[in-house]
Amino acid sequence: MALIEFFLSHRAELAARLGEHVILVLASTAIAAAIGIPLGIVAARRPSLSRPIVAIANLAQTIPSLALFGFLIPLPLVGGIGTRTALVALTLYAVLPILRSTITGLQGVPASVIECAVAMGLTPRQVLSRVEWPLALPSIVSGLRVAVVIGVGTATIASAIGAGGLGDYIFRGLAMVDGTVILAGALPAALLAIAADAALALAGRAADPRRRRPAATGALVAIVMVVVTGAAWASRADPRHEIVVGSKNFTEQVVLGELLAQLIERETGIGVERRLNLGGTAIAHRAVLSGGIDLYVEYSGTALTAIFNQPPATGSDTVFREIRDRYAAVGLTALPRLGFNNTFAILVRRADAERHGLKTIGDLNRLRDWRAGFGYEFLERPDGFTGLAAAYGLRFANQPRVMDLNLIYRAVASKEIDVTAGDATSGLIDALDLVILEDDRHYFPVYDAVPVARATMLLRHPEVADVLRRFEGRISAAEMQRMNYAVDGEKRDPAQVARAFLDTIDRFYVQPR
Amino acid sequence: MPAVAFRDVSASRGGRSVLHDVSLTVGARETVALVGRSGSGKTTLLRLVNRLISPDAGQVMVDDQDVATWDPIVLRRRIGYVIQEAGLFPHMTVAGNIATVPILLNWDANRIRARVDELLSLVGLEPGQFRHRWPDELSGGERQRVGLARALAADPPLLLMDEPFGALDPITRGELHEEFVRVQSALHRAVILVTHDIGEAFQLADRVAVLHDGRIIAVGTRAELAASADPHVARLVGGPPSLRFGETG
Repeated sequence: MALIEFFLSHRAELAARLGEHVILVLASTAIAAAIGIPLGIVAARRPSLSRPIVAIANLAQTIPSLALFGFLIPLPLVGGIGTRTALVALTLYAVLPILRSTITGLQGVPASVIECAVAMGLTPRQVLSRVEWPLALPSIVSGLRVAVVIGVGTATIASAIGAGGLGDYIFRGLAMVDGTVILAGALPAALLAIAADAALALAGRAADPRRRRPAATGALVAIVMVVVTGAAWASRADPRHEIVVGSKNFTEQVVLGELLAQLIERETGIGVERRLNLGGTAIAHRAVLSGGIDLYVEYSGTALTAIFNQPPATGSDTVFREIRDRYAAVGLTALPRLGFNNTFAILVRRADAERHGLKTIGDLNRLRDWRAGFGYEFLERPDGFTGLAAAYGLRFANQPRVMDLNLIYRAVASKEIDVTAGDATSGLIDALDLVILEDDRHYFPVYDAVPVARATMLLRHPEVADVLRRFEGRISAAEMQRMNYAVDGEKRDPAQVARAFLDTIDRFYVQPR
Repeated sequence: MPAVAFRDVSASRGGRSVLHDVSLTVGARETVALVGRSGSGKTTLLRLVNRLISPDAGQVMVDDQDVATWDPIVLRRRIGYVIQEAGLFPHMTVAGNIATVPILLNWDANRIRARVDELLSLVGLEPGQFRHRWPDELSGGERQRVGLARALAADPPLLLMDEPFGALDPITRGELHEEFVRVQSALHRAVILVTHDIGEAFQLADRVAVLHDGRIIAVGTRAELAASADPHVARLVGGPPSLRFGETG
């Protein structure tokens, strides 16, 4: 019921996301076919080439999708943020099944049939087009089916690099811990996969020479043309948006992204494109470096350690000055801090805290057999888990589990794990009845929210720089937590929450202009 | 002018020498059978003619011209080729298979249609019944007849046949032998026929060439071969049918 309501209230957006998804999959499959089929033909003819070609395609297939996006973003031409990079990655994934099925199909043509074709005086090209191709076509179509079904699934991840698609709902739902929103992306994606598979099964049957092959070939050509047109349309730049605001993939980031986007739109009238829900610090940073986005909110401690590989530091001003200089060196501008410090918070269930008298992080050592789960970043970064364990002498019975950042709060509440490290401003802390253990040894460095922008964009739009500078210190930790809770706990739309916040502060914010 | 002449031809397959200094002439209206056990080089000899393989030494002449100087496509389109499993294109109907070379030669549609029906009748298949059938709907004998019709489609002066009746049951084979004799007596093409069955060779061919270990050890009519002193030839020609090479096809 909630799902149907969601669909009804998000009709237009859903259609747009579905459209993006279909275009991503079809375009990447078409490009992969344009690469994989000729490559398969070459490989089937020269067995010595077949092995390395398949090995390379295999290798591309084994790279995890997020890692592949990470590799691609800094590359010229194929990289960046958005549809183009997603197309490249999806294409790489789709090549292998198409290549394989082409080779299998061609090698399955009986040698006696080819011998006769050659002996009858068909040129090599005619042998291919009149004999081998039609006989291999059913196998190639089955490879296309596999590629499309894989593509529908993988394209959901493309949302992480701002390519849109149904993954937007899945990631948003994960960030909001809202099953309805996840389903709103997952269900259409599943239906799309089933529909695409069925459609291609029909196409495969039409490709059967005993039915009407010319019609099927015509249909395939038509599909390819539609898809290529669609791809050209999808990859064209949207001229209405002069500034692109990004965000990482958790609620607070999405709210902040919306907030800055709306702020710029309200105060300057400049069109802002949103590339929210990018898949992590590295992707967001590479995106702003490469110009895929112009602006996003980073946290000073994260910038210092995770981006600039410096040891963690304390002191809000010290850290800010340090990262401002380092950002300036790579053409980025760290704008004045927004006002709140989103440091890590070590979280346990309120019931556990009361039963065992847990107040500080050090108190964790009173527990036996506790299970910890952390986001991937927390386990990796120098100011994360390792340092924390050393600072407090934490003893672990079990290796901490790696979990998606969006799932950790739920995992604690549902007793899958007992301890995690979340954001101090997370709205889920109250919503799920968790408590923050005090960092009495001041282990965690400061994580002041800092808008980071491309210097060239600020030079082009000094009015944007002005608006963002005047936004200094406007968001307190309590306000951020409330906005997060409005999204996570009350299931309100991030854009709406951001708008409501801007409405309240506009009263004393607007200045004569 | 002979249709085909082999002059001191040597050839190898996969690095192994399989033909040594073979010389043989096939007349323009003559059927010559190549007999010999598996590996004797008879199929290799056949494939030299339409350049599916090239000789290491010597010359293969078609119409007094070395095949190495022929455009292979032109050469092949005037040579009919029939193999054991017929090699029909499974994605084309009987008519489509037979029409393949005429289509490549840009014949007009009416001429092709008439030619297909003419050939089906020639090989003993009712056109109305078989024109639109698919290869996998045919019996082995019917497939072989279609294969023959396809090879004859563009009226080639020369026909190469590699064990065309090898996979058939004895009754069907007998029928096809009669069919072949009938067709050949009507068309009088040059034919090179590979077979391991000496009886079939004598029944269908004007002359028989016996290959042994990559050499032709005897060429001639039945009477000439029966007079041969070579022990291999004598055993082949004189032995009871059950001992003939002990092959099954």
